[in-house]
Amino acid sequence: MGDIIVLLKAALNPEMVRSKPDGSLDQDAIPLKLSDIDRNAVEEAAKLKGKLGGKIIGITVLTVGPLARREKDLRMAVQEALAKGVDEAIIVADDSITPGDQVQTANIIVEVIKKSGLKPDLILASEATIDETTGQIAGRVAAKLDMPYISFARSLDVVDGKVVAERDLEEDLEKVEAPLPVVVSVTQEINQPRPPTLIQIRRASRKPQKRLTAQDVKDALGVRRRILERRIISVKRKQEIIDGSSLEEIADKLLDILEREGVVKL
Amino acid sequence: MKALVVAEYPRDALESLAAAEGMDRVLLLFGPAAGESSRIAGHAKTYSINSRDPEAVYNSLRRVYDDEKPDLVLGVVSKNVKDILSRIAGVYDLPMSTEVTEFKIEGGKVVYKRGILSERAYSVEEVDTPAIILVNPRIYKPLDESPGEPITLEPGASRVKSLGFERKQLSGVKLEEAEVVVGVGRGFKKKEDLKLAFELAELLGGQVGGSRPVAADFKWLPEDAWIGISGKRISPKLYIAIGISGAPQHMSAVLGSKVIVAVNKDKNAPIFKLSDYGVVADLYQFIPVLIKKIKERKGS
Ligand SMILES: Cc1cc2nc3c(=O)[nH]c(=O)nc-3n(C[C@H](O)[C@H](O)[C@H](O)COP(=O)(O)OP(=O)(O)OC[C@H]3O[C@@H](n4cnc5c(N)ncnc54)[C@H](O)[C@@H]3O)c2cc1C
Ligand SMILES: Nc1ncnc2c1ncn2[C@@H]1O[C@H](COP(=O)(O)O)[C@@H](O)[C@H]1O
Repeated sequence: MGDIIVLLKAALNPEMVRSKPDGSLDQDAIPLKLSDIDRNAVEEAAKLKGKLGGKIIGITVLTVGPLARREKDLRMAVQEALAKGVDEAIIVADDSITPGDQVQTANIIVEVIKKSGLKPDLILASEATIDETTGQIAGRVAAKLDMPYISFARSLDVVDGKVVAERDLEEDLEKVEAPLPVVVSVTQEINQPRPPTLIQIRRASRKPQKRLTAQDVKDALGVRRRILERRIISVKRKQEIIDGSSLEEIADKLLDILEREGVVKL
Repeated sequence: MKALVVAEYPRDALESLAAAEGMDRVLLLFGPAAGESSRIAGHAKTYSINSRDPEAVYNSLRRVYDDEKPDLVLGVVSKNVKDILSRIAGVYDLPMSTEVTEFKIEGGKVVYKRGILSERAYSVEEVDTPAIILVNPRIYKPLDESPGEPITLEPGASRVKSLGFERKQLSGVKLEEAEVVVGVGRGFKKKEDLKLAFELAELLGGQVGGSRPVAADFKWLPEDAWIGISGKRISPKLYIAIGISGAPQHMSAVLGSKVIVAVNKDKNAPIFKLSDYGVVADLYQFIPVLIKKIKERKGS
C-alpha cells in the first residue's frame, strides 16, 4: 500500500484552562498536547501499516502562538506521535500563521501535501479536536484534494484495495466502501491506543522531522476569523469532601446534606 | 441577507428555519428530511435530495450554492450535515463554525458565540459573509410545519458506496428531563455491576446515564444515555457521578446541575474539583451502604 498521512494537532489542553483575574481566558498559560482522538488516528494508521505496509507521515500545523512559548509542547506532541508509530513528521510552525483558523489550516495541509509530492492512499484525521472541536479539517482537505471522504469511522479496514468502514451516525451505523485514496476521520471508539514501549520512545527521537515556515506555504496563508473575546465558563462548586470514620457515617452525612439541599426526599 | 438552510432531519429543518428568521431563505433537505419535504416546503423555496450519501449530497449542493449564492449557509449540528458542509467550506474557502450557541448578523458580518476547550470556555468570533454556521440542536424553537411543493434534485455522483444502515439500540430515556441522574463511568468493572446504579436511581426517582466509554465503547448503556459534549447535556437537581474521572468533555455537559456529588476511589480525581460533595471510596463498598441507608430512611 501507499503512504498514510495522519493529521495531528497540538491542541490547547482543556484540563488546564487558565483565566486572568477578569475572567478572560489566559491562553498563553494553557499548555498544548496532542489532541486526544489523534492518538486513535495514529493507532489506526499503525494497525493498517502493519497489515499493508507503507509509511506513516504526520503533518501538524501550529495554530496558537507564540512559537517560542509553544516549542516544547509542540515537540512533545510530535514526539508522542512518532513513538506511537508515525515514521516521519512535517511540522509547520511560524509566528506569522498564528492564531490560525480552519480555512488556513486546511489550506496549509493541502499545500504541504502537494509541495512535498506526497501521494497518500489514506489520510487520517480525528473526528474532532479537544480545543476547537469543529470536526471540519478532514472534510475540507478531502474536498480540496477531490478525494472521497468517510467521516466518523468507528471501524476501518482495507480489503482488496478498498476501504471498508463503519460510520457512526446519530441513530444508525452505516457500512460504507470506497476506493483508495480516501480521507477518513476516526472516532474515539475505533481502537484503544496503546502506550508506546520504551524502545519506541527511544527510536522516536531518531525519526526524521521536517520543519516548514510560513515562507514554504505562502500561497496557503490567510485567516478569515477574528477572535473578539474568549472567557472561561466559571464553575463554582463547594468541593466539599465528606469524611467520616465509616462508610455508614459518610452515607448518613451525605443523605442529610442532600435532604437539606432539597434535592432528595426520603 | 440570503440564507441557504441545509437539514437532514425534519426537526432540524424547522429549527434552522427559525434561526434564519427575517432572512431571505432557501431550503435544502436530504435524507430523512427529504422524505418529509412536502410538509416543510411551504416555508421557502425548497430543494429535496433523496439521499443520505454525503458525497452525493455535496455534489448536488454545490450546484445549488452556485445558483443561489447565499450569504449564509445555516443548519443544526448533525454528523452528515457537518460532513457535507465541511466539504463546501473547503472547496470555497468559507469560514465554518459549529456548535454555535448564539449568532447575529451585523453590517454584513456574522458574530457568533461557541464553546471552546471542550466547553470549559467560550469564544466570541466574527467572520465576513459568505460563511457557514451550524447551531446546536434545541436552541431555536422549531417553526410549525407548512405544506408545499419541493424541487426534487438528483443526488450527485459518489465514489463511496453505502452497504447499508443498522439501527442503534436506543432506550428513549429522557435524561434531559430527569430530576435526579446517576452517572456511571469506567470505575464499574462490568455491565452487571451497573445494577447498583440502577437501584440507587430507582430509589431516588431518577435515571441512569453514563460517560462516553461506558455508553459508546463498552455499550453497557444505550447511546441516548451518554452524557457529555458529544452526547447529552443535562441539568438535573442532583447529579451523582460514580466512578467517573471528571474529564472536561463529560463535566461541561452537567454544569447546569443544581448539586453534583462524586464518588471516586482516587482522591486526586479531577471530578472532586468540579463537584459540590465528594466521597472518596470504592464504589463497590460505598454504594451498597448508601442504598441500605436510603432504604432505612424510606422505611422509617
Ligand atoms: C472530542 C471528545 C469528545 C468527548 N466527548 C465525551 C462525552 O460526550 N462524554 C464523556 O463522558 N466523555 C467524552 N469524551 C471522553 C473523555 O475525555 C473521557 O475519556 C471520558 O469521559 C472518561 O470516562 P470515565 O470517567 O468513565 O473513565 P475514566 O477517565 O477511566 O475514569 C474512571 C474513574 O473511575 C475511578 N474508579 C475506578 N475504580 C473505582 C472504584 N472501584 N470505585 C470508585 N471509583 C473508581 C477512577 O479513579 C477514575 O477516576 C470525549 C473526548 C473527546 C476527545
Ligand atoms: N492544526 C492542525 N494540524 C494538523 N492537523 C489538524 C490541525 N487541526 C486539525 N487537524 C486534524 O483535524 C482533526 C479535527 O480537527 P477540528 O476540525 O479542528 O476539530 C484533528 O483531530 C486533526 O486530525
